[in-house]
Amino acid sequence: MSRSAPLLLLVDDERVIAANLGAFLERLGFAVLLAEDGRVAVELVRAHAPDLVVLDVMMPRCDGRAALRELRQSGDWTPVILLTQVGNSTERALAIEEGADDYLNKPFDPYELVARIRALLRRASPGKSPLAVAQRLRCGSLVTDRSARRAWLAGKELALTPKAFALLDYLMTHPDELLSRERLLDAVWGWEHPSGTRAVDARIAELRRALAEDATQPQFIETLAGQGYRFAAAVERA
Amino acid sequence: MRWALVVALPLVVALALLALLVLTASAERVVLVRVGIGLGVALLGIVLSLACGVAVVVRARARRMMQAAHDAVVAHAAVDRRRFLQRLDHELKNPLMAIRAGLVGSNEWSPAATVQIEAQVERISRLGADLRKLAELETCPLEWTRVDMMALLGELEQLAVEHPHAAGRQLKFTLPQVPWSLPALRADADLLLLAFYNLVDNALKYTRPGDIIEVRALETGREVLIEVADTGPGIAEADSAHVWEDLYRAPATQAVAGSGLGLPLVRAIIARHGGQCTLRSRIDQGTIVSVRLPITQGAL
Repeated sequence: MSRSAPLLLLVDDERVIAANLGAFLERLGFAVLLAEDGRVAVELVRAHAPDLVVLDVMMPRCDGRAALRELRQSGDWTPVILLTQVGNSTERALAIEEGADDYLNKPFDPYELVARIRALLRRASPGKSPLAVAQRLRCGSLVTDRSARRAWLAGKELALTPKAFALLDYLMTHPDELLSRERLLDAVWGWEHPSGTRAVDARIAELRRALAEDATQPQFIETLAGQGYRFAAAVERA
Repeated sequence: MRWALVVALPLVVALALLALLVLTASAERVVLVRVGIGLGVALLGIVLSLACGVAVVVRARARRMMQAAHDAVVAHAAVDRRRFLQRLDHELKNPLMAIRAGLVGSNEWSPAATVQIEAQVERISRLGADLRKLAELETCPLEWTRVDMMALLGELEQLAVEHPHAAGRQLKFTLPQVPWSLPALRADADLLLLAFYNLVDNALKYTRPGDIIEVRALETGREVLIEVADTGPGIAEADSAHVWEDLYRAPATQAVAGSGLGLPLVRAIIARHGGQCTLRSRIDQGTIVSVRLPITQGAL
């Protein structure tokens, strides 16, 4: 089935939010379906097979988490952006089980949502479970166990601080995506850090040392001057 | 425990004397008469001791119960406050999202109006999120590691030097070097740095060019004491009592941008590390904020 414009399903019980975001996304060239609760969302996914679902969590009748669970249990791996906060390490660990491809916390900049949608449409492989729900990831000789928060390079375990592992995990589950320092700070640290983006640079440096990377010719983590970082290598489920 | 000993000692002595007197009582009549008086005194002593002991135990138990009740009320208030802030943040999310969506959903807004509204939405969003994070900080899991305090304060100095207000102020870092430097602490390095940075940031923000800011640290064997002192305008006594409260901003500081959440954040972080913060200030002389962090033995 080929479509000229990617079809998005936007699920939010607040009509003002759904209608306005929908109009905005249509102006940018997406085709948009709207749903007001999780039950309708599941029906629409099955009827129209959208390319991506933007799913709010708190909704009456059937909330976003229940709808996501229902989809995943029936083997539907349509990419889902869940509109909630995934901050601390406990939430991150739970998120692996949850089955969403990405998370965005309200209130967000609508242009940030567009960037996430485009990145996800690019990296999603139709019908396959996303990297975000894999227990183990592999990239060449680098293997991570996400629940145990351990990483190995060529069979040798890496000694990483909890923050460095969380950062590596975020990079590997968003491969080939430009990640600004601010976004990494928000996703991995959860609050503003005094050294701001330098805290990110420090952990990237720790990761590169552990991965024995040459910063000028990186195999895994690329620096995009003035913009951020990108996990450049291909990541697969291990 | 000390009280229990004080009560028990005369009790034991009296019992021993009594036993001795009873054992020797049958031997001689004369002694028996004198024993009668002694026995009375001893019995009185025993009764008084018992009464004393009971009073002490009852009082200690009452005090413990009062303390437990007080702790429960404080803990309950903290839980209430945390839930309230989480709900508030949650209830703000959708209206703020609706405003942002409304701004991009139609073309009717002028770019200038959009920028202004977005800035204000951003401000409220940040406030809600900061309040929630502050509440979560009281219970969220920390990333405990062995933190080299000399390295951490070195990093702090680097950040202070790069601060936009650093130019024109004298920054002095005085860290102990001999005969030993600061010990390592079990801490969350990112949070601890955030706390000290907030103090230095305050000192830099609220002082004038030419002022002196001194960060000094020493180790007392049981704790590490770190002070951030400045020669700024100082804080009035009436205001300094409130500086650790959420969203409090002293009237004299309204001209400087700030959230009123900096010092509460510092206090929450230091409290999670088992430490304490105090602030002393004199108008027209300056301010000293002291942070005491316990040195945990063998737990690193």
